[in-house]
Amino acid sequence: MVDPRMARFRLPVAAFAAMVAVIMATAAVLFARKIGLAPGRVETFYLGSEVGFAPPRSLAGLLEVAVPHLLAVPLVLFVTLHLVAFAHAARRRPFAILSAVTWGCAAAGIGAGFAIRFAWPWLAPLKIAAFVGLEATLLAWLLLLAATIVPTPLLTESGGAPSRAAR
Amino acid sequence: MRFLVQPAGQPLDRARPPVRAFLAFTALLLVGWVASRAAHGALDPQGLARILEPLPGERLGPVALWEEVHQSAFLYGFLLLGVGSLLAVCPVSARTRNGLVGLATAAAFVDLGAPFLPLVRPGLPGWAELRIAGFGVAMTALSASVAVAWATFGREPGRPRG
Repeated sequence: MVDPRMARFRLPVAAFAAMVAVIMATAAVLFARKIGLAPGRVETFYLGSEVGFAPPRSLAGLLEVAVPHLLAVPLVLFVTLHLVAFAHAARRRPFAILSAVTWGCAAAGIGAGFAIRFAWPWLAPLKIAAFVGLEATLLAWLLLLAATIVPTPLLTESGGAPSRAAR
Repeated sequence: MRFLVQPAGQPLDRARPPVRAFLAFTALLLVGWVASRAAHGALDPQGLARILEPLPGERLGPVALWEEVHQSAFLYGFLLLGVGSLLAVCPVSARTRNGLVGLATAAAFVDLGAPFLPLVRPGLPGWAELRIAGFGVAMTALSASVAVAWATFGREPGRPRG
């Protein structure tokens, strides 16, 4: 059941969810175009290629991408998970497991680039798996968030009993 | 969210100073965003075409277009959620707050989507003007939302007379 107090926040939450969907879609295109979805391409992206005259990524270049993402990704996840937890009477265990997978994928995705470049190039498949995992779990969170937006007779502005997660 | 759904009264009133400080920074962000686009030539159709128009044969358009939309969607998402949620607890009519947030959201999508039109129909004229108009409407609606939230957040709702 969705917390009835969400009713008046339906429009801003819908706008936020739609924008997160745009972020996810553009992230997928950027990942596929810039890094690639094959381990060999990921390695080439970070380590460079003599054949393609591509230099290896510098630490400054990696940080230029990682630092904004270290703010933006946790912020998006925190707000999305917070809204889902508030709106739904989520059961503690499934919520915790899906959260852990999401946060783990986010951390692995950001950290894998550094690991591939400076320590373990064989981690290239992990970079792809982390990205796909983050996109998939975030999609699941967005679907749960979308369920709070769909108008139902229970979700009115008149209020009602708060959900278990909100108490 | 928990803070915003508390019963009306004192907590929202006490929160007015930090909320107004947040809104002041939001207004600065909007001004900065407009200035940034102007500085990059993105408020002029020719300048915008130079940055974002796909080259012949470039099926997905330039990477810069995807990066720009990626970053703009992040800003729009948090602006619409933050300002929209504050408006939701302001003593304004549902019509006013839904109108402002709905207009801002629709205009934001025009802003984000217009540069993709030449990918769908190569050579399509007017997409740059459409994007600039969408951005202008989105900034205006968000500015109006900030102004309304600034003026009314934490106030007691007006009581009908008689």
